Amino acid sequence: MTSSTAERSPSRRAGRQRHDTFRYRDGKVAYLLILPVMILLGIFVLWPAVYAGYLSFQNWSFYKDPEFVGWKNFTDVLKDPLFYATIRRGFMFVLMTVPVMLVLAFLFSSLVVSVSGRFAGVLKVSIYIPTIISTVITSIVFVLIYDYSGGLLNWVLAYFSIDPVAWIGDPAWALLAIAVPAIWLGMGLTSLIMVAAMVDIPQEFYEAAAMEGANWWQKTLYITLPQMKNIILYLLITGFVAAIQQYELPLVMTGGGPLDSTTLPNLFIFNHFRNDVNVGYSIAAALLLFVVLGTVSAVVFRILNSEKLVD
Amino acid sequence: MRTAVVPARKHHHTPAWWVGSVLKVLVGLVFLVAALFPLAWMVIAGFKSKTEVIATPFQFFPEVWKVENYTQILSDPSFLLTMGWTSLGALLFTVLGLTVNSLAAYAFARLEFRFKRTLWVILIGTMFIPGMTILLTSFIVVTRLQMLDTLAVLVVPGAASAGVVFFIRQFYLNIPSSLEEAAMLDGCGRFSIFIRLFLPLSKPPFVVMGITSFLAYWNSYVWPILTITSPEKFVLQQYLATFRSERSTELGLLMAGSTLAAAPVVILFLIFQRQIIGNIKMAGLK
Repeated sequence: MTSSTAERSPSRRAGRQRHDTFRYRDGKVAYLLILPVMILLGIFVLWPAVYAGYLSFQNWSFYKDPEFVGWKNFTDVLKDPLFYATIRRGFMFVLMTVPVMLVLAFLFSSLVVSVSGRFAGVLKVSIYIPTIISTVITSIVFVLIYDYSGGLLNWVLAYFSIDPVAWIGDPAWALLAIAVPAIWLGMGLTSLIMVAAMVDIPQEFYEAAAMEGANWWQKTLYITLPQMKNIILYLLITGFVAAIQQYELPLVMTGGGPLDSTTLPNLFIFNHFRNDVNVGYSIAAALLLFVVLGTVSAVVFRILNSEKLVD
Repeated sequence: MRTAVVPARKHHHTPAWWVGSVLKVLVGLVFLVAALFPLAWMVIAGFKSKTEVIATPFQFFPEVWKVENYTQILSDPSFLLTMGWTSLGALLFTVLGLTVNSLAAYAFARLEFRFKRTLWVILIGTMFIPGMTILLTSFIVVTRLQMLDTLAVLVVPGAASAGVVFFIRQFYLNIPSSLEEAAMLDGCGRFSIFIRLFLPLSKPPFVVMGITSFLAYWNSYVWPILTITSPEKFVLQQYLATFRSERSTELGLLMAGSTLAAAPVVILFLIFQRQIIGNIKMAGLK
């Protein structure tokens, strides 16, 4: 409110102004306090986001002035068979990782809530340790475990007289070989969120079921699973979003090869950005991936959330 | 715990109870081994000679336990420099992040100002911007700002985080306002209330978010390989990846280096595991 508007309709405006002056008496301090965060986010998040929107319509590289090309970058991406291949691969990767993680995490938390406190504590701490290990170290370790002639995995397989496999050298196996460390890295958080949710289920439900002679399987099916519906949905969507965006593991382990078999969507974009002079194409691809990601998340949410949730 | 539900007098020490308990311990051990085995192998491989790490036939334990790999990498000036440089960056990143984010968190939790709602929506909105898109354009921005190949490019761009502001604000909202009113009657301004009252109470969210930031910096790889080009300014993960590709035969040394690179964050986690694991409950259910 400026003072001139307040003068024109005296009583109400003046009252409002007095009220606002009182209400916002800390305004100056507040702006000073949020200023650093807003400036930093402005420069390094908001501006890059706006800039990405702008550049996706330009033919631009570090060496020349931008040239407006309309939707060309987007249509180029949508005409590129490699883009579709990489999205398909992303979904394959999701299917290899997310269901396994959810099932294992469910098993893990069922175990944790049924054992003594000390053992449960050790289990929780142990399962979380891989989460804090970097992708680079994980990649180094797993690549050596997968080594064709001297690696641990082929040595174990030899015990069962299975021929050695070139895990990350064979296009048929490479994506799976990357899924395993991805699960290893992601299990900790998924499991502990499951545990937290399972601990929160009211004890009375199980007591009542026990009185009626329900076994573990029945309790899980009729009490635990329905009670955890929210959290499973949450983990499904966050797991999907994380898995389809994974690119550090293939970047370090295989660089996307062999024969593009581990070029997940974001790695496709990242490699494009590093090799292609037209930055617009990479940004358009990143924006299109985001559309795919948002759509699938929304659809999954809609389908699984169609019934009224038990809260 | 759930076992309490099972009527103790009936089921304890029956054969079925024993089978169940043994089974649980076994399954638990499988999870334990799966989680820790790759790391244990890494630590042990650090004691092996060059050729033993992936020897045919495979050997889990070294023929002779060699400490040389660990002593050699610890006396390598470039490794020590990288460790020091990464630690310094991680500390700066954590301190800067906690400072700016907690100030904003306090303002959004306690103060009234014009456009508060709008600014809050914008702030939270930044969490939903796709990471890959802004990775590319942020790189262009820092190039323009001539920040490439400096410590600032690693520390500054990621310091402000809507997620951290949100987390700390949630904590501040639960601090009773009666404490504040008393301080205001004593003539404290808003800023000194933050410093004298909120900051001393902030340990729980600061520990959790501080460790999260420290870890994020320590483990970061993609942003550094885009922005840092001088080997003497490499961060730890970049150093390890380069070591792996350039000195690919010295595997024992690489494993020792990886072990030493992972050790600080594992120790940090073990010290604060109670707080970190306790916080996961909130993260999951919010």
